[in-house]
Amino acid sequence: MTTRLRATGLLVRIAFRNLFASKAKTLILGGIVLFGALLVVVGSSLLDTVDRGMRGSIQGSLAGQLQVYSARSKDDLALYGGMMGESQLEPIEDFAALKKVIERVRNVKAVVPMGIDQAMVATGNEFDVALEKLRADVRLWLRGDRTPELIAAYGAHKAHLRRMTTLLRQELSQARAIVDDSLIKERARETADLARATTEAFWGSFDEDPLASLEFLENRIAPQSMSGGFTFIRYAGTDLDAYGQAFDRMRIVEGTPVPKGHRGILIGKLYAEDWLKLKTARRLDRIRDARLLRHRKIARDEELQRWVRENETQTRDILLQLDPLQAEEAAERLRRALGSSKTDLHELLVELFTTDDANFDRRYAIFYDELAPLLQLYTVKVGDTITIKAPSHSGYMSSVNLKVYGFVEFRGLEKSALAGIMSLMDILSWRDLYGYMTAEKSAEIRAIKASAGVREVSRENAERDLFGGPAGEPEAKAVPIEAPIVVGAAEKKADQTLFARSYTPEEMDGGVALNAAVTLVDPSRIKQTQRDIASALSAAGFDMKVVDWQKASGMVGQFVSLARVVLYTAVFIIFAVALVVINNAMVMATLQRVKEIGTLRAIGAQRRFVLAMLVLETTAVGLFFGAVGAALGAGVVWVLRLAGGIPAQNDQLYFFYSGPSLVPRLGATSLFVALAIVIVVSVLSGLYPGLIAARVTPLEAMQSDE
Amino acid sequence: MTAVVRVDAVSKTYRLGKTEVPALRGVSLEIHRGEFLSIAGPSGSGKTTLLNLIGCIDTPTSGRVLVDGQDTKDLSERALTELRLHRIGFIFQTFNLVQVLSVFQNVEFPLLLQGGLARKERDRRVSGLLEAVGLFDHAKHRPSELSGGQRQRVAVARALVTRPGLVLADEPTANLDSQTGANIIDLMKDMNGRDGTTFIFSTHDPKVMSHATAVVRIADGQVSSFEGGGSAAARAGEGS
Repeated sequence: MTTRLRATGLLVRIAFRNLFASKAKTLILGGIVLFGALLVVVGSSLLDTVDRGMRGSIQGSLAGQLQVYSARSKDDLALYGGMMGESQLEPIEDFAALKKVIERVRNVKAVVPMGIDQAMVATGNEFDVALEKLRADVRLWLRGDRTPELIAAYGAHKAHLRRMTTLLRQELSQARAIVDDSLIKERARETADLARATTEAFWGSFDEDPLASLEFLENRIAPQSMSGGFTFIRYAGTDLDAYGQAFDRMRIVEGTPVPKGHRGILIGKLYAEDWLKLKTARRLDRIRDARLLRHRKIARDEELQRWVRENETQTRDILLQLDPLQAEEAAERLRRALGSSKTDLHELLVELFTTDDANFDRRYAIFYDELAPLLQLYTVKVGDTITIKAPSHSGYMSSVNLKVYGFVEFRGLEKSALAGIMSLMDILSWRDLYGYMTAEKSAEIRAIKASAGVREVSRENAERDLFGGPAGEPEAKAVPIEAPIVVGAAEKKADQTLFARSYTPEEMDGGVALNAAVTLVDPSRIKQTQRDIASALSAAGFDMKVVDWQKASGMVGQFVSLARVVLYTAVFIIFAVALVVINNAMVMATLQRVKEIGTLRAIGAQRRFVLAMLVLETTAVGLFFGAVGAALGAGVVWVLRLAGGIPAQNDQLYFFYSGPSLVPRLGATSLFVALAIVIVVSVLSGLYPGLIAARVTPLEAMQSDE
Repeated sequence: MTAVVRVDAVSKTYRLGKTEVPALRGVSLEIHRGEFLSIAGPSGSGKTTLLNLIGCIDTPTSGRVLVDGQDTKDLSERALTELRLHRIGFIFQTFNLVQVLSVFQNVEFPLLLQGGLARKERDRRVSGLLEAVGLFDHAKHRPSELSGGQRQRVAVARALVTRPGLVLADEPTANLDSQTGANIIDLMKDMNGRDGTTFIFSTHDPKVMSHATAVVRIADGQVSSFEGGGSAAARAGEGS
């Protein structure tokens, strides 16, 4: 159709001439379109990158692609916790059966059992640590192993404890001066004990009966120390072997994995930083981060000043950790590093921590290079055994002792207060804490209860009723429940046997879980597989919910969707404005050009020619400026990449960026979407003025100018 | 001799709010090929309305207008546009060139709308016409760079470029000084003589009228007189 082609050429020529004839208008309209296109490209590139990063982090650390949990649960599954704490989930009683069904569904790669909860963890205190050291010395001493080395260490450790008691006494007498008399009376015995523990007599006669003296310190003095105690820990109990294979984001930063089939815990690195690290060191880290990442200045920042002050005044934690030999070594090192003449370690520490913007970096280095090697920076270290307590499913407190095999980090979530504090525990220990037995075991117990005539196990009596019954009762003995379920029953020996025991995969699977993470062979077919699993489960008689990773991760996973809504609302508004503005401008232009349009009609241009002319004008503006905007957007993305991305200014951003900075990737989709929106908007905005123009009659050409 | 245009008892009434304003009241007219006909009358007499009806940009309220033997009432809007494009050339009182196009492009425009002509042929025809109207050297100029007379010459060239059987000119000299106006009329007359194109132009200027081979006078929407050249067979005022 050469006719069409010629007419089109003519249209383009007129359209462009018209656009050039009114440059200012064209530039303004174009500017709006340009900005919109730029926003679409940059915004959606950033969001896509965040989306991809978070998807990787969340799917690869905890969520998998799909999560399955009981449909009878009161709450929705929230892997990272919800507004109201942990979500209350009904247990999956027989995980093995569930796994069998899910594994048969096409595209399923792995099914990993999980139980997520919070618990209290005893972080120990300096007294316990010092006593432990002394006890080891005493043991050797009593065996007659009296090397000069041991004698020196024994003496140093005793001196350390003596100093600690003295410090504790000072501290407590200050604290108690504040409270009223009745409390002082109540604490009279404690005060007397402390007084005794600081006397020359006590320490002079220590060696006469070292075990009795140790016991006195352990039972009477150590409990008075207010440091240590419990902190909360959030953990996921899981089949650690299956977990390690299914999730790629977990990285052991210190220590080793829990041996195959063994009990044990891997502590979240961020959790350790926040809760287990020596407060002084933590504060130094935070000051450094604030200065480095956020360019804050101690001189101008009240919060940083407070941290500096707290470090200056709270030297006790460090003093308590060091025995006299170490204290001397530390003082010597500090004197050298600081070039100070002070002799007292406390004064040296105060000098070290009295920092300003000029000397901070140097002091920070001194702390970590000179002092830190002498200190235990974390209250828990690899190889320690920690006690974790949690209210169990049936209400009583259960506790387990667990060996710490290492510290873990989740790549991309290293600094996320939400997702990065997670610790990982073997599923058997979780089951002990959760206090829920396998289907078999609970059936067994039901049978026992029936035969024993126990109708209901109340919260208060649960332990005794279930596990601690009189020794002679044959029914109770028949219940093969392991010791740590019972509070306080965790003996060291029992621990050792438990720690050494290896469990088969069948034992791991055969029991209760709260949710099951499902990873897929082809993650892009998530929707289809979600439906398949749901139908397979309901066919097998399971009453389960199957949700995708985004839903399972609660608010965290929905952040991207939310940001997308915000972005597209902004884009929508911009283009709605563009539509209205362009439309109005073109209507005005059309009204001014009535005579010209009438003339075109008179000399033989059809209506559709006139319509096409107007639409072409707006489309040309849209396409040109849209393309320029998209190109500029691509340029912005490119420059951001060159510059190494947008640095994460705070921990939240670190999480959303899945790393220290957001390095955006330009998506073809972003460009396509931008151009598609621009085309639609520009065609639409030309349509109405075009229709007005098409209604102009050739009679208009005949009007004289009067 | 066939009639290029036949106007048969045509009336045209405009609606102005609630009142009806009769612009034409029973006009009959026959215009033959090759005529150089002037429609004369004071402003408001209905001469522009008559030209609009003949030019197929308006249709009569009653009566028939036949252009090239086709009743304009039977034709769709699209067919009327086609008819204008292929059979009729227009010259306007206010020149009405497309401001954003050059002189050459303005003249070429109807040919592009028509399509069908090869580029070479198009160029030759446009150049030829520009030469004929004396504006070959101004081909690349914009209308705004030309004088009124020059613009109207461009308009004449544009009206003739499709070689229409009929050219309509509504007061072509009204916006020009008398000398320039006379030149335009001379130019039109030349074209009329060269190709035998029928020209119908409206005017109220007696000097311009004097060039016409026939003059139809209109007053109050009716043909008041017909002064004709020999070949014209126009019937005036019949049936009114």
